[in-house]
Parts: sequence; C-alpha cells; structure tokens
Amino acid sequence: MALKPVTTPDAEAATIELTLDGKTVTAKEGVSLYDVIASTGKIVPAMCYHYTFDPFGSCGMCLVMQEGKKAPVRSCTAKATAGMVIRTEGEDLFLARKKAVEKHLSVHPLDCPVCDADGHCELQDTAFQHGVTNLANAKQKNIPEDTRSLVLDFNMNRCIACGECINICKDVQRIDALQFIKKGGFTQVVAKGDQPLVCEFCGDCLAVCPVGAITNKFSKYAYKPWQLRKTTTTCNYCGDGCQMYLETKDTDVIRVTSPLSWKNKWGDRADTVNGHGGLCVRGRFGFQFIDSPARLTQPLVRTDTGLIEAPWIDAMDLAAGRLAYVKAQYGAQAIAGLITARCTNEDLYVFQRFMRAVIGTNHLDSSARYGHMNFVRAMHRALGIGRMMNTSAEITKANAILLVGSNITETNPVASLRVKAAIGTYKAQVIVVDEAPTNIAKLASHPLLVKPGTEGLFVQGMVKSIVEQDLIDEEAVHAHPQAFAALQKAVEKISFTDISTQTGIPVDQIHEVARIFAEAPRSVILCGEGLTRQPGGYHHMLTLFDLAWVTGKLRQPGCGINAYIEEANEQGAVDMGVAPEFLPGLLRFDDPAAREKWSRVWGADLPPSGQGAHLMDILERCRSGEIKALYLVGENPLATLPASANVEAALRNLEVLICQDPFLTDTGRMAHVVFPAATFAEKDGTMTNQEGKVQFVRPALDPPGESALDWHIMAGLADALGSPMPYETTQDIQNEIRRELPTYYNLGRPKKVEARPDAYLASQYCEEVDQRYTPVTLPSENRPFRLRLIQLLYHSGKLSTRASGLMAISPNTKRLHLHREDLERLGIHQGGRVRLITDQGSVDLEVEEDLSVMPGSCTFPEHFTEPPLKDLVSVQLDPITGVPYFKLTGVTLEPIAST
Amino acid sequence: MPTTSSPAKKLFDTVLFREIWEAMKVTFRHMFHRPMTFEYPREKRTIPDTHRGALALLRYDDGQERCVGCDLCEAACPSHCIKVISEEDKTRPLQRYAKEFYIDITKCVFCGYCVEACPVNALAMTKLYEYSTPDKRTLLFDKARLYEIGERYLEDGKRYLYAHNQEKEGEESRAYRYQFPVPVQKTPNA
Repeated sequence: MALKPVTTPDAEAATIELTLDGKTVTAKEGVSLYDVIASTGKIVPAMCYHYTFDPFGSCGMCLVMQEGKKAPVRSCTAKATAGMVIRTEGEDLFLARKKAVEKHLSVHPLDCPVCDADGHCELQDTAFQHGVTNLANAKQKNIPEDTRSLVLDFNMNRCIACGECINICKDVQRIDALQFIKKGGFTQVVAKGDQPLVCEFCGDCLAVCPVGAITNKFSKYAYKPWQLRKTTTTCNYCGDGCQMYLETKDTDVIRVTSPLSWKNKWGDRADTVNGHGGLCVRGRFGFQFIDSPARLTQPLVRTDTGLIEAPWIDAMDLAAGRLAYVKAQYGAQAIAGLITARCTNEDLYVFQRFMRAVIGTNHLDSSARYGHMNFVRAMHRALGIGRMMNTSAEITKANAILLVGSNITETNPVASLRVKAAIGTYKAQVIVVDEAPTNIAKLASHPLLVKPGTEGLFVQGMVKSIVEQDLIDEEAVHAHPQAFAALQKAVEKISFTDISTQTGIPVDQIHEVARIFAEAPRSVILCGEGLTRQPGGYHHMLTLFDLAWVTGKLRQPGCGINAYIEEANEQGAVDMGVAPEFLPGLLRFDDPAAREKWSRVWGADLPPSGQGAHLMDILERCRSGEIKALYLVGENPLATLPASANVEAALRNLEVLICQDPFLTDTGRMAHVVFPAATFAEKDGTMTNQEGKVQFVRPALDPPGESALDWHIMAGLADALGSPMPYETTQDIQNEIRRELPTYYNLGRPKKVEARPDAYLASQYCEEVDQRYTPVTLPSENRPFRLRLIQLLYHSGKLSTRASGLMAISPNTKRLHLHREDLERLGIHQGGRVRLITDQGSVDLEVEEDLSVMPGSCTFPEHFTEPPLKDLVSVQLDPITGVPYFKLTGVTLEPIAST
Repeated sequence: MPTTSSPAKKLFDTVLFREIWEAMKVTFRHMFHRPMTFEYPREKRTIPDTHRGALALLRYDDGQERCVGCDLCEAACPSHCIKVISEEDKTRPLQRYAKEFYIDITKCVFCGYCVEACPVNALAMTKLYEYSTPDKRTLLFDKARLYEIGERYLEDGKRYLYAHNQEKEGEESRAYRYQFPVPVQKTPNA
C-alpha cells in the first residue's frame, strides 16, 4: 500500500488519521488515498488501478469528494494526508463516474459478442453498474488489429488507455516492452518503437487488461469466460511453483490464468514480496501438451513387430511377470527405477516405497540428480537442511544479493521478479556472476562476466578476499577457531592472479564485491545451474557455505544460501526420499533409527544400508549387466544425457525396460512395456516448490483414453507382484505421509529452516575444506570455443517441446549462437554453416549472431535433441554426489564454405 | 324429449323413425357447413409468422454465415441444448465464427431466447415442425443441418425476425443490426 514504495524496508512511514465517510481511519502517510479507501473494504470503481504498481490515474473513475474542494478528486493519485475529510458515496459522485464510463464507452466498439473479454470485462461491468444505456456521440477508432506478435494480438479499438499493461511491464516485470503512442488521433499501446512485440511473453499485460484490447493468440475466440471450468493448480514447469488456474472446456485446455488479474486489484503492494500472482511464458502459454493428440492412451507392449497397443491387464501382467522373474532369477538388486521430478509428492513417495518395500532395491533416483542434489547434499551435510534458506520476502528485502551462475530470468522467471524488485524497489546491490550478459545482469549494480565454467573459482576468490581483507564476522569465526584456521590455510593455496586471469575479473572487483557482500546487513546468495550443474558443483556449494559462514550470514536474519530449481518438484523428490542416500523426510538411508521407522511403516525390510546406486551408477550397472530391469517413470535418459553416457547401450542390455510416460519418448521406443501416464493436469496431489511450499495440484481433466495416474500404475504393479500397498485414494498416501512426517504438508507456509553449521564446523570441516580450494587448471585450450548447453526462457526440459504454443514462440532453429566477433573471426555470416568438432565427434549446423553470447563461447538450447549437439558433449561425474556434468565442453568450429 | 307425451304421439314417432330424421337433420346441415378439421398430411394449416418452429441458421444475402460464434445463444438457452464451438477465422481479420454448432432439438423448449440473444440475427425460428424420425440421433441438429433448414426456410426465418421486431425489412435492415467485425474502413458520415 504505497504511492511511492518504501525504498528501505527498515523505514516506517508515520501514521496519520483522516475521515472517510464520517469515520476516522488511520493510514500511513504518503500512501495513495485509494489504497486507504480500499483497505477499509469500500469499493470505489477504478479501471487503471492495480496494487502491484504505482497509481496511474488515467481512467477517471475513482472520484471522491474532498472537503474544501469543489470538484471531485481522483483518489488513486491523491496522497493521504492528515485531517482529510473524504466522501466516497453520493449521487453526484455516481453521476461523475457515470460520465467517465460514458467517455470511455463512446470510443469503445460495441463488439462484446465477439470479444474474448466479454463477461470478464471491467468496462462492461462498470457500464452495467452505472446504467449506461445511451451514448450521445459514439465514434469508432477504426484501428486495424496488430497481430504481428507471436503471442498477443492488440486490438486498440477496444483499448481504454488505462496503462495497466504498460505499468505492470515496467514496474513489476521491469522489461518495459510496451509504450503509448499517439497514432491516428488516438492513444494506443504498442510494443516499444511500434515494432512487433518481442519480449519475455509473460502475459501479465494480458492478465491485467481490463478490456479485450490484448488477447491471446492461442485461445483467441475459442471460449467465453463463463464456459470455462477453472481449476486451481500448481505450474509443472519450474521450481517456482506458481499457482495457476487451468481453464478447461470439456476435454480441452483453453487457457491458463493466474491470481494476477484486473479483478484482484485491491491489495497491499508490500505483499508483492511474496509474489505478484503472475506467471511466465511457460506457465501461461505452454499448456498445449496436456491435451496434445500425441498423448499415449493405451498401454504398449513389445512384440516381434514392435510396440503394439495392448489391454491394461496384459501389459500389467507382462510387466509384473518380468519383474518377478528378474527378482527371482537375479535378486532384487538387479532392478532399478528412475522417476521424473515433475511427479507429485504422492507419486514420488509411492515410487520409492514400491522400489524399496515391494521390489526390495535401493537403486532409485529422480531427476533432482541432474543438479539440485549437489545443493541438497552440501546443505544437508554442512547445515542439516535440505532446501533454500530464504523466503521470497527475504530475497526481495535483501541489501546485497550474490547471484552466481543463474540466468534467473530465463530459468526461473517468476522468482527473478523478486530480485528485480530488490533492485528496483528496495535498491539492493546485486552482484551477478555469470558467463553471459544476462537480463538480470543488465539491471544489476555489479554485473560481472566471468569466463565459462569459472563461477566456482570466483566464489573461492571472494572467500579468499574476505579472509584476507578481514571482513570476517568475529562472532561466527571465533566459535570455531580450528575451522577458520583450516580455511585460512586452504585459501592461501590459491592466488588472486590465477583467479583473476582464469575468471577474467580484475582483483579489485573481487575485493569490491566481497566487501559489499560482507558488509551488507542482509546478504543473500542465490545460485543456479551455473554452479550446481558445473563440474565440482558439490564443492562449489560448500564454498558458498564458507562464504556465508565467515561473513556471519548464517546466523544473521534475512541472509542465507539458496539454489533455484529447474524441474517443478525436485525438492519434493528429495524430501520424499527418491534418492539412494535419503529416506523420506531427508533422513539418511543408513541411519538405523530412520530405517527402523520406515520399515515398520511399510511392514517390510528395507534393502541393506550399504547399497544404492544413483542415476549414472544405475546406467553403468545396466551396461555391465548387473541391473537387468529398469522402471522409468517419466524419465527419458536417452534424450537427456549425451551419447557419451552410453545410455543406449545400457538400455539395450536390459531384460526388462518399463516406461511410464504421458508421451512415447525416445526411451519409450526401446521399452518392453509402456504405460500411459497422466500429466499434472489430471493428478490430485501436492508439489513442493523450491522454497519448500507444499502446494496442491488438482485434477482439471480426466486422464485421456486409458491412461492412468502414476501412483495407480505403481500400486497396480505392487498388487500384481503380490505385495499390495494399502492405498485406495491419494488421500490415503497423504495420510500416511502426514502421519509419519507431521509437518510436511505446510499448506504453502513452510517453516523457516534453521541453519546449524556447528556440528559440521566442529568435525569434518577441517579435513574437507582443503579439497575445495585447489588451484584450478582449466582444460587445455586446444579447443578454442566453449559450447554451453543453455536453458531457454521458453522451454523447460523436454516437456515444453510438446507444447505447440511454446514451440511457436521458440522453435528449434537448429542454429548455434555465436558472438559477432567470432563470426567475423571465422569469416562467416549469419546463417552460414560451421562444423562443430569435439572429442566425441562433429556436427554441421548453421550459426546465428547473438549478442548475449560472449566471444569465445557458443550456445545451443539443451531442450532440443536435433541436431544432436548434446551427444558431442563429454560427461563428467561428481565424485561425491554422482551428478552428471554435461553442460559445458570445449569445441572447435570450422567454417564450411557455402555451396 | 318430454316424458309426458301421449301414447299416440309415441306410436306416431316410432312408426315414422322421427329420431332418425332429427339426427339426419344435423348431418345434412353439416353438408353445407365449412369443415372444422382438415386432412393434415394432404392439407396444411396456415401458420402465423411468429410461430416458434425448428431453429435455423441464416446467411447474409452474399452467402456469408451470419453467425459469429459468440456463444450468447448457448448462454441464453434455459434447457442447455445449444453448444457452440467457436474459432478464429484465420483468413479474415477479426472474424470469429462457429466451427461447430449443435442444437439438441429433443431438449429444446422452443422459447426463442436464443434468437433474441443473437446479436447478428443468425438464428431464427421457422415454420418447420415436421422432423419426426425413428432415429433419435438425427435430432441433434448440427451446423450443416441448421444451415440447410435456414436455406430452405429462409423466408420463414426472416418473417419470424420481422414479426418479433428483431430485424427490419429492406434497406433499413443494415442499420438495424450489428455487423462483426466492425468494418475498419471509415464510414462516410463519421
């Protein structure tokens, strides 16, 4: 609630009193009068107001009478001052507001019947409320529709110039892609420079547009709001876990909306620290995979002629029979399972129970292994916690943010708004360490471009700088003098000159950002795949721990270490124990008490504690013949991992490969049995986002055809194997989880995690710290370019490539992105062809000029398997966590003369 | 017949079959009377213009579909018998149209609300009432069937709209109804 937002979260505005319709109300000084009125529960119509940005004052609807003034005043742009006497009701105000509606309607086409906003239109509502029936001099704007953008259509005939779209884009998204322009005698909203709109396509402008001026190409004219069934659910794309409304009609998903809407315009702006209720392009426009015709609707079984459709009973019988055979013949250790972290917590829980209690193997893993496991393992070891430490409110109100190796606006767009708000509203110092000039770096106070793969080294440099500049927090360090001595000794081994040459950052800058980070009262560390998915990821996480510890940020409120998650429920996968090292509730698998507890709950003996293979280990054992049967739930390792991981050989070696997926994937084509699974839109359950919020997923549709919920299939398999699991409904699973992990279902209000570094610092720290600070020798430079497999804003994993909307926005261009300098150096132009050579092989492809790529590197999206660039990348394994690293590799580029 | 008549008169009436003649009098009188009934399949009743018969979809004179797929008929229908699946016509700017249109005539209560709700007067009621069938499935009128009725009973449909004061005849008609999309070219008097 503020006209001008509070720039320092510590400062409190003075409290004042004013009279509102005869009643005395208190308010903060300087806030908008409209906010004060709204906070008392009175509703004054306003079409250009939304609580997420500053009042704009263009619609002229929010008129109130102020004592001492002759004419009504606009309450939104008026500041509340002490002693004001305000009247919000009355015949004169009603007529004044009616006049304002008439003014808007006189240039608004009456094409409501064909307008998508019909029935969800603020102008319609206010016209109805004010009884506007006759318009004296109506005229038409006759502006042709702007359909140039890929996603949004702008029909400026309908625009009432409220500016909500422009304001939300500028103030909340901080993208500023829209502007007003005076054209053809009318003020119109156009993309910057009257060009086709090219932005992040978050669709927030669409959500706040109170009329039908901005419409969505993917659902245009396909619905009327009252026909749609709204299901509140959680987005399945990234770890932000945004709440969204899936709007369906019969069996089709028509559109996706979110709590951000012109209808929810009253609120306290300070509450946006917990999120503004919007979505990103993936959530809003990437829904087409749900009702895609490519969905599997029947189980498939392999025969001599390939995969054919079979009834459930046959497929289930075959799968269970084969699993029972492998178990009897080779033992339970010959069976392994992998599950995707896009499943619900309940699916994940049932999966690990199925593997551990029914099959009796601990060879199970989830897609959290691709990176998030580094963070969880490091935090669990050092601090005894398993997820990020800060809430989005703390991140928004931080004084200094260290954002390392995370192109956050692309990977977690909605979480990035918190960093943007920290920069814009709360004036935080943001240190962005990345290997490319990212969008967040453009807004940040300290954008630092490091050479590819050296983010971890940079953090080491920061720790060294803090130790040597004596920026340490005495209290934190004095509690563990031996640990600090060990750290001091460790950082001595590395030299600033090495760090500076290898990262490409001058020593002064390292010192400067170290000082900023250490001296700020609330400093937050955010990291992403640039650290967790780079070689040494586990150690990098512990280096971040060192950084936070020596600066005292582990004990000060509002500080902490956080990692952003790529897939929706990676956190839930770890919490539910879908990893060989953890039991549900983040208990260690070899902890005797925990083992006893869970074996009692499941009424079965757990596999022996020494066992358990992770993702890459499972594939390795498949290759060696040790594992004979693999159960894949939504996982597609063949398309995810590079060819050098030899997934295909591993899968060929299997006696049984069971795939369970909504789609027929590359891996599914090799399977012996394929079960058609449901997507999140058909599931009932919960998902845990990166902040630890456990949020509901609700079924919007029935699973298409004969496809079934993931846990139904697992329970069916358990039945067929003769040891049924006692679940009839999702509720039964939830009851079991609630009983055994009483605080897990937190209804989206996670308890603050408490960092307890003392045990680690007192024991293993001294031995381990030395390993982290080793002078890094970068791989030899016989490959002059660094190929980075990057995540795109418009895609998430492989799932988004099934969404036609996202593919329309960002198709696979099959082009390698290079900086202009490199293009010139190679002597080729945009669209020219190069041969990309690595140790694994070569591929020919076209190039594209891209200014967001640094000279000396080239990028390709990891979401696309064609051309098979990912197959040219080598895989490195983390020696401790087993995380596969394959995002970065050295390549040689050779221009191919065009023919 | 008075019960106190004399025996002589009784006898006289019996001999001369008086009751028969009385009855025949009525019969013969009807020979000169206009018939009250008519022989339905061969002869048909004249139906007033306001009659609410089978629904039809109409086209403009140039053959273009009037329906813009606005779903308002669906919203107005009290018996939920209308289903419209609308879509954007990619070939024409701003044009919405009904890709599919169904009226379950077995559910229809012939209230005429849909016709009233239609902003472009694409729906009308005709004087057609003969569509009894041994196959109930054919009573789900789809878009093709509704347009076929509209073509065959165009005159009925128009008369229905005129009679219900929803459309005016002749030149007046264009000004009397909405046209979607609103033409982008400037109108002469603007």
